[in-house]
Amino acid sequence: MILMAAGRGLIWQDWGDVYLVYQPSSAETHVFNETTAQILKCLEHGSLSTATAKERTEAALGVDLGELAADDFAFATMRLEELGLVESADDVSTAQ
Amino acid sequence: MNVGDLNRREFGEQLAGDGVALQFGPFNLRLRSDLDSFAAHAHQLYEPYPLPETTAICDFHVQICAPRGLRRWLRRQACFGVDGQFPFAPYTVEHAFPALEWGINWCVATRAHHLLLLHSAAVERNGRAILFPASPGNGKSTLCTALVHSGWRLLSDEFGLVRPEDGLLLPIPRLIPLKNESIDVIRRFRPEAIIGPSFLATRKGTVAHVRPPLDSIRRAQEPARPRWLIFPRWVSGAPLTLEPMSRSQAFLMVATNAFNYDVLDETAFRLVTDMVHACDCYSLVYSDLNEAIPALDELCNSMDR
Repeated sequence: MILMAAGRGLIWQDWGDVYLVYQPSSAETHVFNETTAQILKCLEHGSLSTATAKERTEAALGVDLGELAADDFAFATMRLEELGLVESADDVSTAQ
Repeated sequence: MNVGDLNRREFGEQLAGDGVALQFGPFNLRLRSDLDSFAAHAHQLYEPYPLPETTAICDFHVQICAPRGLRRWLRRQACFGVDGQFPFAPYTVEHAFPALEWGINWCVATRAHHLLLLHSAAVERNGRAILFPASPGNGKSTLCTALVHSGWRLLSDEFGLVRPEDGLLLPIPRLIPLKNESIDVIRRFRPEAIIGPSFLATRKGTVAHVRPPLDSIRRAQEPARPRWLIFPRWVSGAPLTLEPMSRSQAFLMVATNAFNYDVLDETAFRLVTDMVHACDCYSLVYSDLNEAIPALDELCNSMDR
């Protein structure tokens, strides 16, 4: 599975405890915790496999590899998909 | 020239004719009415409000009039109209004045999208403004009324009008509608407050309108910079608490209390984030104005020390 950013031109505000993100395509404002924000940020540079996205998120959060619970990562990713900020697709290279 | 420069008869004749143009802060509106009882209340309560230049363009053309046709003779009613449209069901004629005041609020909330419209009371002192964003029933009008009779200037009891160009708050010092128990609370707190007649059994209970102090009306073209965001909640018998609030929580509460956040898109996002960054944010729980007002005075005074 690969993840890719779906929102374009997001406007970010880092308020220390939370991130505020304005999504021009939907005119919605989102408030994210650090984990969700870092997932979204790491995808802004290009599509990543789920595993790589999780690793980069862990690196951005400053935690050890594998320390971010898989359930927490999956939940945050699902929320981002529901909000139209992230899309997922089957990883073709893996399928082949 | 003010409304009070017209005598009661002249005011009534103009209302029933081409209407009277009134200036409320950044808005001019032309008001028409063929209801005598309304004209009496309006002449009394609008007395110090300015009349704009005769050439000024009016933002809203509103009326509070008897219905047309047979209904005019069946029941004594009052219909609020704006630009020839009648968006609400008729009111009993005795409630014409509060109906007009609600109607003007509705015009501002639904049409003034050149400004960010926060659902908030706002007062100013020493060039710094407090915004009180709150839903109805949290005591913001009562608190606001008490403050403007204790040395603060009224910007608005209902709208935080934010100018997108600079984030300043534009005053719209209209009458303050008090509801139910709040009326007697203010009568006791400031017996000198000018309070109009009580309108009983309206759609919002008993309503009476407080006329803001003259200084607030005279300085209606003087914007103010927001300095504090205070989220008030009146709780019967509760001890006073004034506690810092996180900016993220304040942002959510301001944005969700705005009338047109969605309409202004990115502009609203930037205005609200800038405002929350520039303000100290607090939650206020109070039950006694004699405790709440000194606490807010102290907050303001601490800036000057």
